[in-house]
Amino acid sequence: MEDLRKDTSGQWIALSGLVISLIIIGLAVLANQAALAGYHSSNAALEFPKENIRELNQHTRDNAQTIKDMAFYMNSTTNETVPVAFEQLFDNYSTQMQKLYAVHGEVVDVSLVSINSTTGNYTMEDIDMVFVNITYDDGRTHYSAEPEIIEVME
Amino acid sequence: MNDKGQLHTLEGLGAAVLMTLTILTISQSTMIVTPQNELAIDVHLEQMSSDALTVMDRNPVDSAQYNLTECIACWDMNEADYPTDTAGNLDELDAGLRYLLPNALYNVDLAYIENDDLKVDKAIINGPAGKNAVVTRHFVTLTNSTVSEMGGGWNLGDNELKVVEVRLTTWKI
Repeated sequence: MEDLRKDTSGQWIALSGLVISLIIIGLAVLANQAALAGYHSSNAALEFPKENIRELNQHTRDNAQTIKDMAFYMNSTTNETVPVAFEQLFDNYSTQMQKLYAVHGEVVDVSLVSINSTTGNYTMEDIDMVFVNITYDDGRTHYSAEPEIIEVME
Repeated sequence: MNDKGQLHTLEGLGAAVLMTLTILTISQSTMIVTPQNELAIDVHLEQMSSDALTVMDRNPVDSAQYNLTECIACWDMNEADYPTDTAGNLDELDAGLRYLLPNALYNVDLAYIENDDLKVDKAIINGPAGKNAVVTRHFVTLTNSTVSEMGGGWNLGDNELKVVEVRLTTWKI
């Protein structure tokens, strides 16, 4: 034991051992932080309803075109005017969307603001845009596009 | 003092510093996905299934593969029966999803409003949803013309449109 205490050789090795141990402690802290960062970023990605909002917007856009076609069909088979038929169909669409989103605890509102016609006539060629208000709320995230301008020229 | 092996010690020190710097650079520049973090797998799976539905939905009407609206429009309204009849007549949809979601299993439910009430039908059942399953949804609108073109069982009037929520539950196997 006395021999060991007086033996001062290998000090560099002892020092490098200390340095390496400090590095390992640093790495452990880093790895810990990385796990935490991964958890928080994943949680944020899962909580933010970007796909739901994107889907609401995209589906409304696609539907405006379908509704326009149906409104003209309704106009030809019943005595409803195109704007009235358009509004009825849009209200029907809006009600269904509200219910389907409400099932997931989300409040949406899709309402028709106006139908834009370049000449004032409501023919297939003249109706080029519709203005729609879209809002979405799930209690944490609120989104609104008022108005969303949708082009409905084929 | 013993001066031997100083170069080796310095080399070790240099290597340690190099490793630390590399890990620091990586960890500070990107989002770290640690294998232990199950939420990261959920994020990945949710994005994959959401993309799968979007890809199917965006398919042009005249292309060889039916798009999501056409697939749903052709449904005969008979719910799937696990394990004897997992997909009913939704073979096109099943094939599309199986191709787009490799190494994953999925169930498809269809939710829609009928007589002011919500109705949820099981369209494709591949088994009970496993641990860490994620649910994504996509909407399609059916009209009488799409349904009659595809020969589906939806009973729609000429001036009626039906919004159907395609609910996709996906889990890793």
